[in-house]
Amino acid sequence: MADLQTESLNKKELDTLYKSRAKEMRIQLTSFALMIFMTFIAFGLVALEFNKYLVGAIIITLAFIQVILQFYYFMHMKDKGHDFAKLFILVGMYFAIAFIITFVFIVWIGTGGIK
Amino acid sequence: MATVNGQKVGFGRLIWEYLTTVDHKKIAILYLIAGGFFFVMGGIEAMLIRIQLAVPNNDFLSAGLFNEMITMHGTTMIFLAAMPILFAFMNAVVPLQIGARDLAFPFLNALGVWMFILGGIFVNISWLYGDAPDAGWTSYASLSIASPGHGIDFYAIGLQIAGAGTLITGINFVTTIITMRAPGMTYMRMPLFTWTALVASILIVFGFPPLTVGLFLLTFDRMFGSNFFLVEAGGNTIIWEHLFWIFGHPEVYILILPSFGIFSEIFSVFSRKRLFGYSAMVFATVLIGFFGFMVWAHHMFTVGLGPTANAIFALATMAIAVPTGIKIFNWIATIWGGSITFTTPMLYALAFIPSFVMGGVTGIMQSVAPADYQYHDSYFIVAHFHYVIVGGVVFAILAGLHYWWPLMFGTKLNETLGKIEMAIFAIGFHMTFLIQHWLGLWGMPRRVFTYLDGQGLNVGNLISTIGALLMAVGVIVLVINIIITVAKNDRVVDVDVWDGRTLEWAVATPTPEYNFFQTPLVRGLDALQLEKEENNGVIPSAGPVEDVHMPNNSIIPFILTLGLFIAGFGALFHASGQDWAIPAVKDLPSMRPWSMILLVGGLSITFLSMMARSWVDDHGHYIKKERIEKEMREYEERKRGAN
Amino acid sequence: MAEVKYNVSNANWPKHPETATIEGKNKFVGFWTFLAGETVLFSCLFATYLALKDSVPSDDHLLAADLFHLELAFVMTMFLLTSSLTSVFAVYQMRNNNFSKMQLWLGITVLLGAGFLALEIYEFIEYVSLGHTFRSSAFGSAFYILIGTHGFHVIIGLIWITLLIIRNAGRGLSVYTAAKVNTAALYWHFIDVVWVFIFTIVYLLGVL
Repeated sequence: MADLQTESLNKKELDTLYKSRAKEMRIQLTSFALMIFMTFIAFGLVALEFNKYLVGAIIITLAFIQVILQFYYFMHMKDKGHDFAKLFILVGMYFAIAFIITFVFIVWIGTGGIK
Repeated sequence: MATVNGQKVGFGRLIWEYLTTVDHKKIAILYLIAGGFFFVMGGIEAMLIRIQLAVPNNDFLSAGLFNEMITMHGTTMIFLAAMPILFAFMNAVVPLQIGARDLAFPFLNALGVWMFILGGIFVNISWLYGDAPDAGWTSYASLSIASPGHGIDFYAIGLQIAGAGTLITGINFVTTIITMRAPGMTYMRMPLFTWTALVASILIVFGFPPLTVGLFLLTFDRMFGSNFFLVEAGGNTIIWEHLFWIFGHPEVYILILPSFGIFSEIFSVFSRKRLFGYSAMVFATVLIGFFGFMVWAHHMFTVGLGPTANAIFALATMAIAVPTGIKIFNWIATIWGGSITFTTPMLYALAFIPSFVMGGVTGIMQSVAPADYQYHDSYFIVAHFHYVIVGGVVFAILAGLHYWWPLMFGTKLNETLGKIEMAIFAIGFHMTFLIQHWLGLWGMPRRVFTYLDGQGLNVGNLISTIGALLMAVGVIVLVINIIITVAKNDRVVDVDVWDGRTLEWAVATPTPEYNFFQTPLVRGLDALQLEKEENNGVIPSAGPVEDVHMPNNSIIPFILTLGLFIAGFGALFHASGQDWAIPAVKDLPSMRPWSMILLVGGLSITFLSMMARSWVDDHGHYIKKERIEKEMREYEERKRGAN
Repeated sequence: MAEVKYNVSNANWPKHPETATIEGKNKFVGFWTFLAGETVLFSCLFATYLALKDSVPSDDHLLAADLFHLELAFVMTMFLLTSSLTSVFAVYQMRNNNFSKMQLWLGITVLLGAGFLALEIYEFIEYVSLGHTFRSSAFGSAFYILIGTHGFHVIIGLIWITLLIIRNAGRGLSVYTAAKVNTAALYWHFIDVVWVFIFTIVYLLGVL
């Protein structure tokens, strides 16, 4: 039932495989650099005390971009065989946003998280 | 003497087998027995409620005890009866319907069932402790924080344990249906029960975490001194209502979708027709599941969320009627022109359509937010949700029990008694709840322990009580039927007693632990029916008879859960008599240091069990090809001998 | 999987060792499903936090803007982000069938995670000394349950990965252990995902 379907690879195939993995690693390093960069921007914007709502919108957008990078590259969601994972996480995110919006705006008339 | 895997064993060995089993068929039986027990408990509570309300100014139950009764009735029926019994069917049937040897995570399956059983026992121990939860099954925080004693604590911790088990099982079924399907079993060839099980499991995955969070907040407020719902410290009780209903509304779809699946199978088999509009049914199932998350605030129209929110949630609620309507019409079209056999399951299914439509229509009435201000907290609501849950879910459970009994136990329930049971139960059901619509419109509020004479409520309530007693008679007939069937033990030779259409009717009886002698090859929708038409009823196999890899039994799930159970008592008594505690438990005698010992000790047992599980490699075992071939020959000889 | 082959040759090492067996595939699907559930769980905690943010019984309680230090949150973020990268390295080495390097990167992940946890504990101690506790106000309760649940996940992740390192030290790499490592790595990344939202929504928006 659970036996391994081993296909023995020859030297050349192995090399190609390692190269493709090394390439993937470069992309992951790039996305890591981007994530660090976005974190800097987010903290910087808040520290510099610009317009409150603009900064709020920007840092939430940055957070979402970071999370997409994390999911797609670090958690390999871009690979094939992740269709259901994408579907589940997307649906989960959708519900999550819906719940948070509700709690911010209609927990009670007029008062919520935004004050 | 009982038999385990074909060998005769003593009673102690049998108990041990069930404590350690990871076989989905045995776990199904555990779910059914425990769920059936809680169903009877909840039923007795319902009878006591109705006896109290039979006549005005009754003092059969005191007001406080009445509150405990309604709370425990609702909690038990939803969490500990309906859902586990549906899990019993899902466990027994889904792996067989998709041609799998077991669930994806047999160990977690065992963990799920023990969490449910011990969680359920935990909630019910409150009766023995003499302090049952009394804030309604919804346990709104404004009531539950104020409720004195430990009643609510039993509710919060017991449901937390049972809910974690449900979540684990939900993940298990999602994975099983995604990865374990037999060759050829594409998504659009899955029987509708499997589809509804999949969507219900997805709802569990997304719906139970909010309950987990809500119960944690309640637990921390009541037992660890936090302030989520304490208004004087800045808390907000509406948060509980949101969290509860974000879970609570999907929960009713978690119950009703598998019920729809059961009825879809039954309609198709007993009309001898393929299910009408299969793909529309699948689509409707998914759509209901999705909409189920977008409507929770319709339980809270009168909270004062504002007209915009009410309008959005009202519209979303009305939209759910569309996919549900699709389903109703498809069932009618399935029966239409079919060659119908009126078996007990089919009678339940036929009674389900009008009953459920009535419940659905009153639901649409309530979705109109302004009108809901009139219905809110009246008996109209009680009538509505009993029409959908009894008329939908309980009918489905009883129908499914008769339908899949041969598969689960290798015998057949008596049809005559079954039909008597169905008639009494259905009549009793309508008698109990139809009149409650009017009681509500006449102004009887729900959750009152008595009412005054001369308000025009006497006759209605008496009728309702008589109906409830009739339902009890129906269930008693079922119990007698089960006892007779078990005592006679008249084994069926071929499990396919109903001339079924799907794969679960193609297994040997008693079903071997590895389910199928050979992995089946599925060539179309209604796989067995297809082969009956084209291949003399023989399911083609995807490969030769091979050694089959099976998981090992394990006692760890039980011990792990026992740890949580023990820790639960520690948490329960943690705040007793502490100066930071809420007024409800502040003046109780302190239970230190025992509460701390139980809490830490119990959690240690749980974590050590987890570590033991991950530390010790458990690679399972193989069932040899020769044994499978031998059992296959024996089964074929039995079948030939009977013909 | 009665016979698990440890330390197989590179030529026979599958391209995706973590999903090469049906058990591995089940783990992979089941764990993503679990993470989807966790998404909803954390969203409920975030929602509770946002609804109760700065909701205190009287004026003498500290509010978000008075409490949070961006410097500390930034350092914590760096620790966790980097540990996410090192667990990517571990999975990379696992796929390349390089057991010792995989162990090394997992070890570094644990160290970084422990650093994060130490900072979080330091932060909590400071807040408690300022009178911002789990029992002081609804804001306090909501803050500690959100950050605390995340911290609890970090602790679980640390114990999990540490046990994996120790346990695997004796048996090496196989498709069986690869699935375990991959699952733990997914979990660790998810903790980082949650933290990204925590530093944005709690800390950054808190002092904004």
